[in-house]
Amino acid sequence: MLSAMGLSSMDDLFSDIPEGVRRNAPLDLPEPQTEEEILREAQMLLNTNISVDSRPSFLGAGLYSNYVPSMVPMLATRGEFLTAYTPYQPEVSQGMLQAMWEFQTMISELVGLPISNVSMYDASTAAAEALTCSVRVHNRKASQKSTIYVSELIPPHRMSVIHNYTQGAEIVIKTIPHGEDGLLDISAVNSAEGACAIYVEQPNALGLLDPGICELKSIIGENTALVVGVQPVSLGLIAPPGDYGADIVVGEGQPFGIGPTAGGPIYGLFACSQAYIRQMPGRIVGQSMDSDGQQAFTLTLSTREQHIRRHRATSNICSNETLIALMGAMHMALLGPEGLERLAQRNAGACAATKAALLALDGIESVHPNGVHFNEFAIRLPRPAADLLSFLDEECDITGGLDLSQWWPGRENELLVCATDQIDTEDVEELAEGVQDWLEGYE
Amino acid sequence: MSDLFAFNGAKGAGYAQPAPISDEYTIPSELQRNTLPRWPRASEPEIVRHYTWLSTRSHGIDSGFYPLGSCTMKHNPRVNERIVQMPGMNDLHALAPASHLQGMMAIFHEMQEMLAHCAGMDSVTLQPVAGAQGEFTAMRCIQEYHREIGESNRDKVIVPDSAHGTNPASAAMCGYEIIEIPSLENGRLDLDALRAVVGDDTAAMMITNPSTLGIFEPEIAEAAEIVHEAGGQMYYDGANFNAILGKTNPGLMGFDAVHYNLHKTFSQPHGGGGPGAGPIGVKAHLSDYLPAPLVVADEDEEGEVWFDWYEPPKSIGKVQQWHGNSGATVRAWAFYRRYGRDLEKMSEHAVLNANYLRYRIMNPSEDVAKSIHAMPVDGAPTDVVKHEFTLSMTPVKDVTGVTGKDIAKRLLDYGYMSPTLYFPMIVPECLMFEPTETESKEAIDQFADDFLHILTEDPELVKTAPHDTPVKRVDEVWAARNLILRHPIDES
Repeated sequence: MLSAMGLSSMDDLFSDIPEGVRRNAPLDLPEPQTEEEILREAQMLLNTNISVDSRPSFLGAGLYSNYVPSMVPMLATRGEFLTAYTPYQPEVSQGMLQAMWEFQTMISELVGLPISNVSMYDASTAAAEALTCSVRVHNRKASQKSTIYVSELIPPHRMSVIHNYTQGAEIVIKTIPHGEDGLLDISAVNSAEGACAIYVEQPNALGLLDPGICELKSIIGENTALVVGVQPVSLGLIAPPGDYGADIVVGEGQPFGIGPTAGGPIYGLFACSQAYIRQMPGRIVGQSMDSDGQQAFTLTLSTREQHIRRHRATSNICSNETLIALMGAMHMALLGPEGLERLAQRNAGACAATKAALLALDGIESVHPNGVHFNEFAIRLPRPAADLLSFLDEECDITGGLDLSQWWPGRENELLVCATDQIDTEDVEELAEGVQDWLEGYE
Repeated sequence: MSDLFAFNGAKGAGYAQPAPISDEYTIPSELQRNTLPRWPRASEPEIVRHYTWLSTRSHGIDSGFYPLGSCTMKHNPRVNERIVQMPGMNDLHALAPASHLQGMMAIFHEMQEMLAHCAGMDSVTLQPVAGAQGEFTAMRCIQEYHREIGESNRDKVIVPDSAHGTNPASAAMCGYEIIEIPSLENGRLDLDALRAVVGDDTAAMMITNPSTLGIFEPEIAEAAEIVHEAGGQMYYDGANFNAILGKTNPGLMGFDAVHYNLHKTFSQPHGGGGPGAGPIGVKAHLSDYLPAPLVVADEDEEGEVWFDWYEPPKSIGKVQQWHGNSGATVRAWAFYRRYGRDLEKMSEHAVLNANYLRYRIMNPSEDVAKSIHAMPVDGAPTDVVKHEFTLSMTPVKDVTGVTGKDIAKRLLDYGYMSPTLYFPMIVPECLMFEPTETESKEAIDQFADDFLHILTEDPELVKTAPHDTPVKRVDEVWAARNLILRHPIDES
């Protein structure tokens, strides 16, 4: 090949790199390895991890243990899906385009809004971009310019993402307080009138379901976006936010399609009503027709996107999480409506059983005694949660939950416990026994 | 046509689940769902056939040559897929104690070190999950750095007109004003144009090298000096890193921050649009601003290595909620271990393939040349290109009316993915080719022959292409006018 081009060495191909910036020393990296050697080393390293599937695990906090049907990874890793780029050439990408259009339809049905995109990076970036999108839509009429209100009970990591994504547009973030019962202080919501958006979660970071959220839209009115973050599995039992006036729904798609996978790759859900369509982030698939008039699909509304609009784009997002959304679509399609309902019942049932078992122990109190929970609930301990967690980890091989002081300093004695469909009766008994042993150890 | 929403079989047809362990839960009445989503009711074999059928209507690298410029569509080794399906990967929780994640953190740590070394940077975060998010993250770090040193007046970011669209979009999301500078006629960076716009309001310049035209900017060090003298930072868009690995690095060129596309250079599959991963590397003065947490290695008295999380003191916080796309990090780790210290051979072969393809297209044999209606012209004349190159189809369009888009569509009939179309915008009727290092000489020869053959074909045949694809040319305008964005689900 070199001689065909009249070149004599590989160096000739790099002769355009000036001496001053050329790298001459070899890379200081390990010896090349074969596939077999790499596989063995990967296995050795991954084996040292302790996974949520290898023991009872009550850690949720935004990533949920689940069961992904065997079909899903097998089909999603077919090379035509796995090794394709973004479907910019629709004529040879109909399969992925149709799959994403179906994904949009299933999300639309799930959350009760007409439009869904093809995915965001995760729930946090979806929430952050929903808020910047709302400001673009509502700022002109807003009396509180560039202002958004965010529930104080959202995970601090998500809040940090929201800060990073909103500071460039000089968006002012105000907090909506929650009462002692963990529910949104509805009287404080009046102050959000005239702002661009309000962001709340259902269930919230402490697992509480909040009926008050159904009233928010009637308080804030048409010119303020109601943005609701969801755990999508809960929507098998819980009303879709579109039904109670949500303008944008976001959430973590992960429970459909993929395990918690150390936090990535997962995928963010983003669905909205018609009014937000020109300002929304991310890719969208639309139905069309080909030159013979037969049905076909294509990416559409691309004029919002960075490769066309550059610095005036609605978002910088380019690569998204399509393959994981495809896995989610496969999982949802296999579940069907009744499968979804059953999955939600299993999550609600596991949460209820775990809560009942722990609250039956002397010395354990509920942080929100009258709260209705989905997946997660907070308990108050007589001593630091960190201490209980190490005891459960080391003595009982149980992953006990999240020490809430990791999120909010001052809550050292509070533990966030999560039970998903992967928790069975035996796991609950083991946890209760472990906690009992720990309590007794300190008597 | 297989229609997912036409499946309406028995309730719970698809997938049997265990019973709930308790029914002692309550849902407040106002929050109860009244009607379930109208998802399909299908059996596993039905769903398997549906998605298998869809896969036959998609085209990946596995289906054929994929010379999509700027996207580095190289082969995705299957051992990487096997590794990420192993226990201890998908079943890990990001908030588990560090003692549960030691193997994963070992891989993270090695990747931080490897990426820093390859780019000549001091610190790396793996958190950004896409190239664009990497750009955004780095610009946020630069912004906080300037605030800290009392130079928050620096509110302008310079990009060349050939830059990827994400560069200006990411900087704009941080609140920066974008200054676009024109390229020289030969496609190169115009230092005079740069000198004319830098000043004490310059926050940074964002640039990729080799440029999107596939040419190495010989005056990159001078450009860095100009920006640094004005007090600005230099940002390297790593989309084209596949061209130079081991031969030079952004640190040597004078850059302060860089992002890597693990889905380009390090073989994370593109998955029909994602997931990708966009780690960033920075020089020491920016290290304290990186998103938290990073992985650090400690050694105890017995020499046992222990990995822990570390929060940089002035961290901008989080850009993704967890630790980035760890699946991409692990695949990239497996990919780089294959080459190890020979990683520069990857770049050598990528550059060799690009130059060879360009040579083959621009030098048709005499017989073929005679029947070609018109030859494309080089988008940026130069002796050698790096990993990609651009051609302008203007002469073909002038003679036959066939556009770059027509040729791109005709290539689909031959079983190829088309090159990148109409980018960069500074080359009229642009096609951008990037064969990558994983194509054989035979595959490249065949593609060049087929491409040249298209230039000899009846213009009408090319203008109406594609002809042999699952659907014919799709009407994108109709889609945008009618906006049918979901299935109507007619239940009549």
